[in-house]
Amino acid sequence: MSDTHAPRKDPQGHEPGASPGRSGVALDRFLTFGAVVLLFAVFSITAKNFFTMRNVLSLALQTSTTTLMGIGVTFTIITAGIDLSIGSVVALTGTVAVMAAIAGVPIWISWLIGLAVGGVCGLANGLLITRLKLPPFIATLGMMMVARGLALTITNANAWPAPEAFGSLGNDTIFRTGAQFPGISYPVLIMIAVAFLCHFILRKTRMGRYTYAIGSNEEAARLSGIRVGWVKIFNYIVCAVLAGLVGVILASRMVTSQPNSATGYELNAIAAAVIGGTSLMGGVGTVGGTVIGSFIIGILTVGLTMQGANYFMQQIVIGLVVIGAVAFDQLRNKA
Amino acid sequence: MQDVILEVQGISKAFPGVRALDQVSFDLRRGEVHALVGENGAGKSTLMKILSGVYQADEGTIRYKGREIRFHDSTQARDAGIGIIYQELNLIPHLSVAANIFIGREPLTRLGTLNEKKMNREAVSILERLNLRIDPTITLNRLPISKQQMVEIAKSLSFDSDVLIMDEPTSALTESEIDELFTVIHTLRDRGVAIIYISHRLEELKHIVDRISIFRDGRYVSTDEYSSITLEEIVNRMVGRTLEQKFPTRHNVPTTEKILEVRNVVRRGVLHDISFDLYRGEILGFAGLMGAGRSELARAIFGADPIESGTVTMNGKKLTSLSPSASIRAGIAYLSENRKQEGLAVRMKVAENVSLANMAGVSSRLGVISRRRELNACRRYVEELAIRTPSLLQVVNNLSGGNQQKVVVAKWLFCDSKILIFDEPTRGIDVGTKFAIYELIERLAREGVGIIMISSELPEILGMTDRVIVLHEGSLEATLVTKNTTQEEILNFAAGLGGGTGKPSNGRSRRAEERTQP
Repeated sequence: MSDTHAPRKDPQGHEPGASPGRSGVALDRFLTFGAVVLLFAVFSITAKNFFTMRNVLSLALQTSTTTLMGIGVTFTIITAGIDLSIGSVVALTGTVAVMAAIAGVPIWISWLIGLAVGGVCGLANGLLITRLKLPPFIATLGMMMVARGLALTITNANAWPAPEAFGSLGNDTIFRTGAQFPGISYPVLIMIAVAFLCHFILRKTRMGRYTYAIGSNEEAARLSGIRVGWVKIFNYIVCAVLAGLVGVILASRMVTSQPNSATGYELNAIAAAVIGGTSLMGGVGTVGGTVIGSFIIGILTVGLTMQGANYFMQQIVIGLVVIGAVAFDQLRNKA
Repeated sequence: MQDVILEVQGISKAFPGVRALDQVSFDLRRGEVHALVGENGAGKSTLMKILSGVYQADEGTIRYKGREIRFHDSTQARDAGIGIIYQELNLIPHLSVAANIFIGREPLTRLGTLNEKKMNREAVSILERLNLRIDPTITLNRLPISKQQMVEIAKSLSFDSDVLIMDEPTSALTESEIDELFTVIHTLRDRGVAIIYISHRLEELKHIVDRISIFRDGRYVSTDEYSSITLEEIVNRMVGRTLEQKFPTRHNVPTTEKILEVRNVVRRGVLHDISFDLYRGEILGFAGLMGAGRSELARAIFGADPIESGTVTMNGKKLTSLSPSASIRAGIAYLSENRKQEGLAVRMKVAENVSLANMAGVSSRLGVISRRRELNACRRYVEELAIRTPSLLQVVNNLSGGNQQKVVVAKWLFCDSKILIFDEPTRGIDVGTKFAIYELIERLAREGVGIIMISSELPEILGMTDRVIVLHEGSLEATLVTKNTTQEEILNFAAGLGGGTGKPSNGRSRRAEERTQP
């Protein structure tokens, strides 16, 4: 699966017209965004109540989880890495935050503790990858098991109820005007803010530029004086902190510790990134693409559910979409 | 008239925006080595790709063994007996030699499993046809590059090739390995194989070439018996004008101001106790055979590879930690030998590559990039270095080799480097662009930059440097003043034979003292 999404390299490297270049990226974005609009239109027509304010808002709320995790994992994929641990990190950070709140820590501090635990997991991943030179796949696979095990251990595999105030982050809304507009949930606002912030980091800051440079040519980046190790560690921390954010949000929505939650979410996040045009070979990917990718998954899930398709059917359709999106990209790059 | 095996008539090929080949004709005889030369962009590679079925011609005909043919892919060409060996080897490092030769058509046992015995036996017989003794069971990546190339040739031959195209086969080889390759080529020629030999190294052609065809700007210029044409004529036809001089007139005057002091650098098994100085405005050459440790020394100074002991002092200040980022901050730049692998982020844009080593120069203190400042900086160097690119936002991969090299130079100039280390700056670059790069190096020295130039081409060392350090197996053999030395003297030191030119062996004693006076 590692070379599914790479633009073809020809041996000479610089044949005229070999690269899609700028217009190709713009076209990609246009096409994937078009796919979202099309899906939305199809479900609006075919599924009753799909295109209602309530449903759109709940779609955004549900998608915020995949989006936040997808944005995080996009950082690591751009450096030609991967983070498989984020699903488990979601569970671990959520349970730690809940246990802290139960132990009497002020609610907002318990949320921050959740984020910090995420940061520590990311730091550990980063150190394993840059200092011990483990392949990212292996390092984060190990972390995936360790984090899950820790979550189960500290909760004794139980769902502990959190103090009621703990639930505000995941369940409260703003701009509520009564029945006609149920308000925008905090997680949706957080998703929007994080997306803009991360887009800014990747596109407008040195750290972002270094991220792309490492994915494009790590040795050239190193010889250009970039401290490759630190940039990678930064990327894994970003990824895991976002997973921690999701962990806190999910725990808040449930108002309980859920050590078994978010199993397999990392794969949804990676799927969102890949649908959005991120290359597993590194050097290519955008926050915008990943947001669109996760909304494609979200719309499909909600739309198919409303049409009465069962969970198994949804899995089949989303799987085909992942394959189709990348295959389409490959064919277009070849042409 | 000898037996013509391959005849090309009026071939043209266009890519979007470029006419790569324009009405090209040329013929190849059995049992000859036919050199194909021309600058980058002359159309050699395109023609080879058409002959080997990678591209299809827009117009024109190809006659092979008397029949008109048209290959749709490289497999067809290969099966018909036209093999091609690219500059980059197409082998699988982790498989055995025999497995590489027979990949895709492995002999099987009756049970359908791999017949290793038969494969190894046949591999040996193929290798023997080239007079090569290579163990077929050895893993490929344990062989030196030259032997790997022989394996590639053997693989080609195992398809019973009658025509073998070799694209820059010597670019990664040492002198003695090149001799081995030439022996193999002679063996092949004597067996009646027709060989098309593409090379930028015009000097080496005299050892093997029977005829030579010259291309320029996608057009065919001429074909001659090699014995009836001079090197000068070849170069003139390649560039389409007379090159009065190969190197620019040197105006740079080395100062006595010591900019870099390297002392007792040791990297176990690679560099043995090396010390030298570099002065402002000086061009210092690193000469030596392949594997002598020239690049390794440069990389050690730059901090790209760790060293066991030794010091690097710049402008009187000792560098405490040796790492690329520390060196760059101190003002040292290293332009590596392999642009693509080590010098450029090829999928990123020109402007992004130029600013990569000095992001602080185009961003705020908080690390936010100013696109405007980045483009301004890039524009300045594109103009100054005459980089030919359709736009500042062009992806670097789409530029020619010479222009990619200039982008790397631009990157380091933008860091305001005080010392530039050029590692084989003209490798794989055509004659015309070479001169532009020499001019640039000379100008930088004139402006007070200290230059270290690593080169395998001795004329380049003699033509461009003020002093030259000769390395042999990781040891510094001699420090010579360029204008007082000769190609022979450098070669003697490089071979570890000491001075050896009649003068008593004072090679080591004349280190450092001898310098051109300002």
